[in-house]
Amino acid sequence: MTQTTIILSIAGLTLIIINAKKTGRHYEGLKAGLKQLIDTGPLIIGAFLLAGMIEVLIPSEFVQNWLSREAGIKGVIFGSLGGMVLGIGPYAFFPVVSSIWASGAGLGTLVSLIAGWCLLNLSRMSYEAAFFGVKFFIRKLIYSIPLSLAAGFIAYLLEISIM
Amino acid sequence: MKQSLIIVYITLVLLIAAAFLAGGSHLVAEGLTLSIKSAGRSAIMLIASFVITGQLNVLLTPDVLEKWLKRFNGLKAIVVSAAAGGLFPGGPFIYYPFIYSFKDKNLPFYVFISFLFGKQVYDFARLPMEITLVSWDLTLIRYLITLPIPILAGLWAKRFFGDKETYMLIMKAGDKDDSNNDHS
Repeated sequence: MTQTTIILSIAGLTLIIINAKKTGRHYEGLKAGLKQLIDTGPLIIGAFLLAGMIEVLIPSEFVQNWLSREAGIKGVIFGSLGGMVLGIGPYAFFPVVSSIWASGAGLGTLVSLIAGWCLLNLSRMSYEAAFFGVKFFIRKLIYSIPLSLAAGFIAYLLEISIM
Repeated sequence: MKQSLIIVYITLVLLIAAAFLAGGSHLVAEGLTLSIKSAGRSAIMLIASFVITGQLNVLLTPDVLEKWLKRFNGLKAIVVSAAAGGLFPGGPFIYYPFIYSFKDKNLPFYVFISFLFGKQVYDFARLPMEITLVSWDLTLIRYLITLPIPILAGLWAKRFFGDKETYMLIMKAGDKDDSNNDHS
């Protein structure tokens, strides 16, 4: 955790320096980041509270049967389906992923969940259908299902082979 | 954002009620304690991740990325457009109109597909958030496993549609299903 904080802080400082030298708009960047933090603050607080509640509420039997490494392919399928229906932004989604992980979910389920959220998220339907047509949205969704499941399956194989 | 906020808080109220019914105020307090601990651990990382996101938003403008997209073709174009998609800042209300504008720029359909998948799978502005709120090791594994997806999608589009322009394919799809494509 401390290591990650240090790496992220160094990355942030480096970008400020690059921006200051290249564009001179580093203050603008800081303002943009601060504005985003303020805008998303209520969502992040809600997501942390939600994640804590999920962690204490998920029955261990459910985790064992559906989400854990032992759940196997079931977990991968369940993960992609979960990602598809979790129509929330990253600030809310990642704390939920973290709580599901803390409750004992397997790597295959988690990668499948994130891949499903990236590729299959139904909340994008309104944008994609409006801009590119309903047919495009449906085709993209259908072609993306095996990609999401494959990502989860590869993670599952990795988990059972080296962990 | 507003939609996410509503979903999160409605679900939260339901889960607090469920926790109260299942284990009384003790279980609710346990959940809240976990939330506070987790938020406290992530606070500095969250601030750092927003600094990164803000700087990237200023450094990588749509104009810069558009120049990259026009410079290459074939596999190079697929890789560059997938990376450009990942680097493109902003939410769906910013990147969908930008991607839709490909139809006016004579960019091939495979560039459009790899950019769209690149944005959705990579989204590097989301990376600090993913590391902060989940963990760096899971994020690394997830990125490595999903890394080929936008490139595979681009190659698939090139294989089936060749160098056909985005304009031809998107307008065709829009005309056929009669969707509202009038966003110019």
